[in-house]
Amino acid sequence: MTAAADRARMDPQLMLLLELQDLRAQRKELAESEQAGQVESEHFHIDPTAAGQELDLKIAELEGELDPGVRARYERILPSRDRVVVPVINGVCYGCFVSIPTATAGDQESHTDVQGCEHCGSFIYILG
Amino acid sequence: MKLRQLFTLDGVNLELESESKDDILKELIQLLDLEEKSEAILFKTLKRRENLGSTGIGKGIAIPHCRSLVVNELRLAYGRKPGGVDFNAIDGEPVYNFFLIVAPPLEVSNQYLPVLGKIAQFAKDPDIPGKLTEMEDPQDFLDLLEDRAP
Ligand SMILES: [Zn+2]
Repeated sequence: MTAAADRARMDPQLMLLLELQDLRAQRKELAESEQAGQVESEHFHIDPTAAGQELDLKIAELEGELDPGVRARYERILPSRDRVVVPVINGVCYGCFVSIPTATAGDQESHTDVQGCEHCGSFIYILG
Repeated sequence: MKLRQLFTLDGVNLELESESKDDILKELIQLLDLEEKSEAILFKTLKRRENLGSTGIGKGIAIPHCRSLVVNELRLAYGRKPGGVDFNAIDGEPVYNFFLIVAPPLEVSNQYLPVLGKIAQFAKDPDIPGKLTEMEDPQDFLDLLEDRAP
């Protein structure tokens, strides 16, 4: 495998989790921010209610593609936390703001495994 | 914060080369200089937003936008496609000017929606599409924002 192909490789389950996290962020915004609905309908002619329902369907569909183990953990985290996947920036987990040991962070470099923060249990994604 | 302060020269490309909606999105994403994996996620999230309804607001302008975990601060980019491209815009016309806006899920300063509104407002100024067509280098874009953008 070329270096470029290796860099682009990502565990499909992590990819799904990240997609789900992003969709949930859009969904939450439409549900909770009046301004979001206003901007989307005024400038982009989007019906916020219909868009929300469409996002719900997509979220449910992607959740169905999670492996049972990942799904179980996802559902455990969900009720207690706003975000299922959190970024790790400069070695700090943005779910709990605790420093993640360098070794754990180092293992994440390849993003080939779905891993979590040992402290708060969130799935993590290393950023920059 | 004024729009001018949110753009940098690196985030401006006046000669987009792509010929399809998907490829234009990818070319815009490249202006943000993210890791390849993050680019792939961002592309999927932007596509999902486009599937809800095109961000082509008419008059040759599109404003692809989303929140994504892959950025840690509000990021903006501007791209121009001189020949235009079909972006399923609201008016059915080709799109020449693209403003990309990506925000993290949580922002301390909560600038995302106000900035999105400001870009839309700027783009709807009847003078602006013509001014965007006339620009010769990326600095002209920043100067135009300085002069005309909220
Ligand atoms: Zn944590």
